[in-house]
Amino acid sequence: MKAHRIYAIVLRYLYLLRRSYDRMSDMFYWPAIDLIIWGLTSSYFSSLQGGNQQVISILLGSLLLWMVVWRSQYEISVNLLEDLWNKNLMNIFVAPLSFYEWIAAFYTLGIVKSIVSISFAAILAFVLYHTNFLQYNIVFVLYLPILIMFGWTLGMMISALVLRFGTRVQTLAWSFPYLVSPFAAIYYPIATLPPFARKIASIIPISYVFESGREYVSKGVVDYHSLVVALMMSVVLLILATIFLKKSFDKLLQKGLVSVY
Amino acid sequence: MHVLKVINLTKQFKDFVAVDNISFSLQKGEILGFLGPNGAGKTTTIQMLLGILTPSHGHISYFGKEFNANREEILEKLNFSSTYTNLPWVLTVKENLTYTAHLYDIQDRKQRVKHIIKTFRLEELQNKPISDLSAGQQTRVNLAKSFINDPEVVLLDEPTASLDPETARFIREYILHKREKDGISVLFTSHNMKEVEEVTDRVLFINHGKIIANDTPLNLAKSLDTTQLSLTLAPDHKEKLIVFAHQKNIPIKVHQKSVILFIKDSQTSSILNEIVKQRIVFADISIERPSLEDYFLKVAGNTPGSFADIV
Repeated sequence: MKAHRIYAIVLRYLYLLRRSYDRMSDMFYWPAIDLIIWGLTSSYFSSLQGGNQQVISILLGSLLLWMVVWRSQYEISVNLLEDLWNKNLMNIFVAPLSFYEWIAAFYTLGIVKSIVSISFAAILAFVLYHTNFLQYNIVFVLYLPILIMFGWTLGMMISALVLRFGTRVQTLAWSFPYLVSPFAAIYYPIATLPPFARKIASIIPISYVFESGREYVSKGVVDYHSLVVALMMSVVLLILATIFLKKSFDKLLQKGLVSVY
Repeated sequence: MHVLKVINLTKQFKDFVAVDNISFSLQKGEILGFLGPNGAGKTTTIQMLLGILTPSHGHISYFGKEFNANREEILEKLNFSSTYTNLPWVLTVKENLTYTAHLYDIQDRKQRVKHIIKTFRLEELQNKPISDLSAGQQTRVNLAKSFINDPEVVLLDEPTASLDPETARFIREYILHKREKDGISVLFTSHNMKEVEEVTDRVLFINHGKIIANDTPLNLAKSLDTTQLSLTLAPDHKEKLIVFAHQKNIPIKVHQKSVILFIKDSQTSSILNEIVKQRIVFADISIERPSLEDYFLKVAGNTPGSFADIV
């Protein structure tokens, strides 16, 4: 792995970010809209409970953590699509870039943009709803690896399917995370889910994070054991998703990189 | 010295063999034309040479090293341009070249990008996004990209298609200059046969996935040995010439005021002598020796109205 090649791909997408209103709105507009809607909703619920600030903290905290997952997956799957739309994949891979350097660039972008988006949303939450997420910083940092790895896992699974079936399945880049979200129990406890959905939730590592987050905000305790389990599950899923994506890429090379356009 | 060696390269897609057991080499400083009709297997071969399509069988080596095992090291010294690939549309010319320069870890990056922009006459376009450029301008940027790393081997897939004649000539001159100055080797595909004759040292002709010719453009043209002798005549002399051609069993093509005789190059003077002896008077004469284009049309074969059909 060569850092300069990873940097080159990161730079290519940062140039794109600078010039694309789509990418800018992905980074700032949608997080702001989500935050405002959920902030107003939670403020309303809070007023029903006599101004309980915890409701706002739980819902907005969950939203911020979900943004990390969403951004991490989005950077992988949409950046791949960007190169397919531009018919640029061939130009990238006739350069001495390896598959893993390409993926590493997407990981880097996912982390950088997650930090920017989440910081922006956290500042907005503080300004609009007086919710200071810095008070939870240590615990939130524990959650980040699990959320980011799961986002990467989703992104790589979607990318693998796009490489196999072409841009006709590109809608997965936007829709697939939302298919997972009900089972991740982002805004409600796992116990709320019907029994079959609870079983699915138990194999989705981020469900442990959201559960833990709610518990920490309401009771001030952290279940480290469940977080370790979630972390291990995330690593396993990430490895499996990487293998799936690599196999899809190799399969595409059998047909020719241009065949995916 | 070989910079590229291909041995028994085959690509099969299910039942269809796109490239069938081809072998060839590219020498240092050589410009090799890679010709063939559409669907002959040129692009499939180039994709395998670039590592973006896995061969079914065979070996590819560059600079004496197996391509698969040394992919990254080899690709550092290689580059590619095609009229049929795009660069990111939203990025400007300069941004495209800059990130590509990072990919190849070019040390004096700013200077190199500046130099390549100047060389390919892109100064006025450098801050424009690719989407704002004409097809010809995009091709120029693609070519600039393919020389950014100062490659030792360049694969150019129809590099001058969509370029205006002046720019196309500039590109041909640039390729020849780079060969003279730096000894670069080039694999060059084009459907412009005059261009191939001008630029290439040798031509590989591929059809139905097989290499069917490997020679200099001149020798390939000569192999046809068919010269077109075109005579413009008055109507009564035209009739006499047609009769003469039939007697001598010479294939002809009759136009309103002229007749074209398809003869062997070596027979030209003797046939002209006989025409004169027969007192056939012609007002004008032109002799067209076979070109690479004639060879292409003959080998490409079943194009309606082709040279091969007439002969």
